Amino acid sequence: MPDWKRIVRDRIAPFRLEGAAESDLVEELSQHLEDRYRYFRIGGESEQEAFEKTLSELDNTHPLRENARKMRELSKYDAVPAGESGSGNLTENLWRDLRYAARTMRKSPAFVVFVVLTLALGIGANTTVFTVINTLILNPLPVPDSGGLVVLSAAKPETGVTAKSGAPLLLPLADLKDYRTDNTVFRSLAGYTSPRPVTWQADNAAQGMFAELVTGNYFSTLGLDPVKGRFFLPEEDTTPGAHAVAVMNYGTWQGRFGGDPGIIGRMLRLNNIVFTVIGIAPPQFIGMNAIFGPDLWVPAAMAEQLLPNEMRNVFTDRGKATFQGAGRLKPQTTRGQAQANIANIAAYLAREYPTTNEGRTATVQPVREVLFASNSSTATPILFASAGLLIVVGIVLLIACSNVANLLLARSASRQQEMAVRLALGANRRRLVRQLLTESVFLAFLSGVAGLLIAYFGLHLLFRALPASSNFVTPRLDATVFIFALAISLATGFLFGIVPALKASRVSVSETLKDEARTLGRSRKRVTLANALLVGQVAFSFLLLVTAALFLRSIERAYEIDPGFQTAHLAVFMTSPGQAGYEKPRAKAFYKEVRDRIVRVPGVESVSWASNLPLWADPVSGLQVEGRAQRSQADRITTVINTVDGNYFETAGVAIDSGRAFTNLDQESSIPVAIVNEKMARDYWPGASALGKRIRLPGEKQMRQIVGVARTGNYSNWAELPQSCVYVPLEQNYSDVMTLYVRSKGDPKQILTPIQRELHAAGPQVRIDVRTGQQIVEGGLFFARVGVALLSLFGLLALGLASIGLYGILAYAVHQRKREIGLRMALGAARANVVRLIVKQGMSLVAAGVLIGFVAALIVGRLLSRMLFGVSASDPLSIASAAVVLVFVALLACYLPAYCAGRVEPLAALREG
Amino acid sequence: MPATSPDQEWKKGSAELLVLSLLEDQPRHGYDISKLIEMRSGGVLRFHVTSLYPLLYRLEDRGWIQGRWVEKREQRRRRYYSLTPEGRKMLRSQRKSWKEFIAAMGRVTGVEHA
Repeated sequence: MPDWKRIVRDRIAPFRLEGAAESDLVEELSQHLEDRYRYFRIGGESEQEAFEKTLSELDNTHPLRENARKMRELSKYDAVPAGESGSGNLTENLWRDLRYAARTMRKSPAFVVFVVLTLALGIGANTTVFTVINTLILNPLPVPDSGGLVVLSAAKPETGVTAKSGAPLLLPLADLKDYRTDNTVFRSLAGYTSPRPVTWQADNAAQGMFAELVTGNYFSTLGLDPVKGRFFLPEEDTTPGAHAVAVMNYGTWQGRFGGDPGIIGRMLRLNNIVFTVIGIAPPQFIGMNAIFGPDLWVPAAMAEQLLPNEMRNVFTDRGKATFQGAGRLKPQTTRGQAQANIANIAAYLAREYPTTNEGRTATVQPVREVLFASNSSTATPILFASAGLLIVVGIVLLIACSNVANLLLARSASRQQEMAVRLALGANRRRLVRQLLTESVFLAFLSGVAGLLIAYFGLHLLFRALPASSNFVTPRLDATVFIFALAISLATGFLFGIVPALKASRVSVSETLKDEARTLGRSRKRVTLANALLVGQVAFSFLLLVTAALFLRSIERAYEIDPGFQTAHLAVFMTSPGQAGYEKPRAKAFYKEVRDRIVRVPGVESVSWASNLPLWADPVSGLQVEGRAQRSQADRITTVINTVDGNYFETAGVAIDSGRAFTNLDQESSIPVAIVNEKMARDYWPGASALGKRIRLPGEKQMRQIVGVARTGNYSNWAELPQSCVYVPLEQNYSDVMTLYVRSKGDPKQILTPIQRELHAAGPQVRIDVRTGQQIVEGGLFFARVGVALLSLFGLLALGLASIGLYGILAYAVHQRKREIGLRMALGAARANVVRLIVKQGMSLVAAGVLIGFVAALIVGRLLSRMLFGVSASDPLSIASAAVVLVFVALLACYLPAYCAGRVEPLAALREG
Repeated sequence: MPATSPDQEWKKGSAELLVLSLLEDQPRHGYDISKLIEMRSGGVLRFHVTSLYPLLYRLEDRGWIQGRWVEKREQRRRRYYSLTPEGRKMLRSQRKSWKEFIAAMGRVTGVEHA
């Protein structure tokens, strides 16, 4: 038979058709001629005659040429011309590649959905965590030109900068005013306090709110404009107590007041003083502490009226450091110049007011450096957790990438023919790689869009877990986040696309074209790469699961820690009668009446008052021990001070180890007494009894005699390092902010309502906040619990992805080995043997992954061991349970394809093969 | 190009009708079409590849027929042409006008049609 294809191709070569069009035409015509030739031969003509007669049909190619031109137009959307050499317009090629990618995807929607879902989960998790980091750390202050903002805070001269923890020290308002008037470097300098709890008396019901005292130029210094009304006028912050005005947080306006359009001019009774709302701050702005903000800003001149106890003599007392400065430097002023100028003023103040200001200076720092140090107790774990989570979600994304890469590898086997044909027709490899990469990046882009949606809902869930939403920062999905999502999507596309693309384009043309597609299968090398990726996935999933299990166990243990007070039968009620306008005698009467009323409530075992809320105590410094010389300022004793009423130790479940508890004999007129904890007794009177020794509390004139030693507990944080604590009787140390402790006989939840009713009856104007002992413990472990929840979630996500990958690889292998399996079964292999064969293949990969993950988990566990409570980094139970979960899921992923393999019909498989 | 040579113009219009009629019942590939034309016309009408395929492509271009590569077991893939709904409409109207044309010719020339 003559080679009709060659003959036709030679004839139409002068038409210069495009590759695909030409090959179609050649195929169609040559078939026709072959059939014709065969027809003549069957009719009895000789080979030569038949050949000549058939060939004569090709004599006049003119009509063909005319219509072939139309074909070229028809075929113009065949995206990558098989024979294209690689030169050409870049954007045109890109556009063509994209169109081709879209067409290829339309052909396999299941593949696209799977890839997009897998990647979207990875990208979504990353975007969620990044948004949190972006909101909290990278760009926390929503004010114009936040980079030009500096913070002025107190400092000790020897260190030059801040306190040990890196937290800036507060300044007295009087000092701040001197810095403001005397400096030559600030264009504008404002002051602010931290948010303070106040009582809002609305319609006979008292509610809690947070208010922040700020100087009159606070908002103008930050460069903000009100969304409604106005900010403070200069004269509103000059005369103490004269202007009761307030600016409201946007979130509070929307949340608590339903966005009431008539909010401006509205009267609010706060701590028994009527304030007028004059303006609404811009949305997102919650003050200089970027995580937690106030509901209201109030002029500093109102300090003494709003918070009479806390802020007494705030305008004159240079020992009362409650403010921090925020300012903007004059143009062309460097930070060094500002620092020098401020240090001069500080030195002058130290000479002028030696009793308070000696050994104290001030420092100017960019706001970014201070922001996170200023609330180090909450910021450090957030910072740490964010970094940890970013690593975890990065791993999840890597797993998703390697999963998709595996799928593409499997697919590239089936596209090998296509690639070989293109290469054979003269396409260059770089062009093919680009085409394949365009496909993966396009897929990744789709996944990025889906990932952003996932992030949006993820953030919604995450931030809903926080209470009092208007006071907390809200996540911002801004341009930075979009750019981040786009960038990781594109990077992801390259990452999972490059290896399969390079592999696919490296096909051997002659081999592939010679062979039938089905006998090709995966090359040995490709299987190795896919398996390596899978082992890595399993290892990472195992690592995450072990880490999650370790933290889970650690939290379990943390719940078992004895905090030094009883929690099972405890309910606490925070009150602040002072904020309701109660003077000392009335407040004392209130305390007594409450005690008398509550003790009669059925189910109550005992009741007492204390100034501290469990796990919320702030240590103070300046305690003196008789006979112990203070060597320097830094040598001041730091201790928790708790003012307690009779019965406190019994109610709260704090044991007295030696001496006595407070009694009715400890009155204002009797000898001042105190009870210290074990830790303090051991530190300051080692080897001797603390009983009978004397101490002086900061701000007190008289010495107090120690009459008892109580067991050390947790005061500020759950499972904290032991710290000193001093208890003093309420009768000898009046406070107008006290917490009622109630010990119940049964479940404390049962008696909350009757107690609240009694409290309301005793003081209708007094605000009450309720918590049970259990809630206090859970609050103390809040961040740890959120962390474990996220870690478990991402660990399971990683496991799910790895299992899908495992399933995919095995299902593909079963498909490839169908013939072999059929042969085995035809030769007598039982179904069970075949199933075992496939499961073994999958589980050997899993075993390798678990082994690597185990080693990695030991190393990571050691790094994390400082964050674990009472669980060793190599805790066998955590590792075993993670292994059980992983192996179970992996077995399932292996069993499904193996089951399919067992169902192969030997005859059908062999015939197909 | 017909082996015998009736008028060229004459044939051009008729060729379209021939192809469309053959595709009326079922899709066919190019060789099948040419073979059927030759057989049914008793060898009077014949198409060479160089005129048949341009005709097919033209009809496809107009949207009257549609070509598809079809793979069958134990066979090479072939391009089968089928009638589109528009082609079916066209076939009906061409048949009608041919009938009128032939009738008119018969009345004028006295040639009896078969």
